[in-house]
Amino acid sequence: MKFVDEFRDADIGRAVAMEILSMVEPGRHYKLMEVCGGHTHSIYKYGIDDLLPANVELVHGPGCPVCVIPMGRVDDGIAIAHNDGVIFTCFGDMMRIPGSNGSLLDAKAAGADVRMVYSPLDALRIAKQNPDREVVFFAIGFETTAPSTALTLKRARAENVTNFSVMCSHVTIVPPLRALLESPDLRLDGFIGPGHVSTVVGGRPFQFIPADYGKPVVIAGFEPLDILQAIAMILRQLSDGRCEVENQYKRVVPYEGNLRALEVMAEVFELRPHFEWRGLGFISHSGLKLSDAYADLDAEIRFSVPGVRVADPKACQCGEVLKGVIKPWECKVFGTACTPERPIGTCMVSSEGACAAYYNFGRFAREREVV
Amino acid sequence: MTGAGTCGSQHCVTCGDDGVPMQVVRIDEVRGLALCADENGTKETVETALVEPVAPGDVLLVHAGTALARLEHAA
Repeated sequence: MKFVDEFRDADIGRAVAMEILSMVEPGRHYKLMEVCGGHTHSIYKYGIDDLLPANVELVHGPGCPVCVIPMGRVDDGIAIAHNDGVIFTCFGDMMRIPGSNGSLLDAKAAGADVRMVYSPLDALRIAKQNPDREVVFFAIGFETTAPSTALTLKRARAENVTNFSVMCSHVTIVPPLRALLESPDLRLDGFIGPGHVSTVVGGRPFQFIPADYGKPVVIAGFEPLDILQAIAMILRQLSDGRCEVENQYKRVVPYEGNLRALEVMAEVFELRPHFEWRGLGFISHSGLKLSDAYADLDAEIRFSVPGVRVADPKACQCGEVLKGVIKPWECKVFGTACTPERPIGTCMVSSEGACAAYYNFGRFAREREVV
Repeated sequence: MTGAGTCGSQHCVTCGDDGVPMQVVRIDEVRGLALCADENGTKETVETALVEPVAPGDVLLVHAGTALARLEHAA
């Protein structure tokens, strides 16, 4: 398919890998963070890290929306799902995230009507098909997914679907990045910017990274050549002594983003004063809730929720993994007590989580093997 | 990936902030929706409010049932 095949060409990939090799200084260690979970997945699916020199290290960032949901939010969702007459809908990976007393999948097994949907629009369709039931959609995701939820809420309003509501756990990408950059235990040389978040927000929100912290950012697509080229562009900036926001993914991402998406988000959502992130703690102005104009469609108002903060399991080191401080296999329970079948932490649940990506693609090696 | 917009055992396009290139097959202008097909021919109803106007044959970048960008017209 056009726009796909040409970005998987092996010969060009090897040529870019050679270009990368020619740019690295032998005595220097480069630590680059891919912000987005989709990039993490592509890197291991296509073996991109094996094409890199040994002194170029990829660190996995907090950009998996499932992985950053704290246990207390899962408990809130389960509490809503157990209400009589409720059909609780969520994306696939969300169903397996452990709360303090099981997951939504466990709640389903215990009798709650929990259904997986592929989009908020599917949840709205279920509401229209079941007018005598309350249908709740557990909305998660960064700015990529938030417009979809916003448009669905507008559609619910326009079509007068009153038995539909949203439990909003959308988050924004800039506050956690700033928190990471302020973190004293993490030294990064540059960022592979999130391609599809940028489709919505554009390149401007990332300008603070070169301006305030002196690090390069290259917004990248998700095919193997996209990621290799982005790494080459970051290394080129470092070798030239530059730091700026560059856009490798110009075929999709305009610098100003999608203005219609930003408008609809501004209408439907407002920033929460603070939001809890798994492993990162509370971060100011990093989560979205429904605006006053849409409060009647807010599931957290329509239903009572515990709203209790639950500490992460002690054995779980998702926080350090999300911050890129340790590699997944350095976690004490990786691949033993914590596996995709029986996850302890969220990073092992979502296939975009760093731990699951390592586990599924056989990255158990304690030492990297570089060709 | 098992198909457009699906959460398979190896990949979840929604959770991964992924986007799937899909071609417009048919449009419902009144409701602002389009039937789109991915590279495997899997069809999905897509919200097109953010990229309108669209026409059959256009290739859209679709995430969670919503088209975020139109690939041919991107800068």
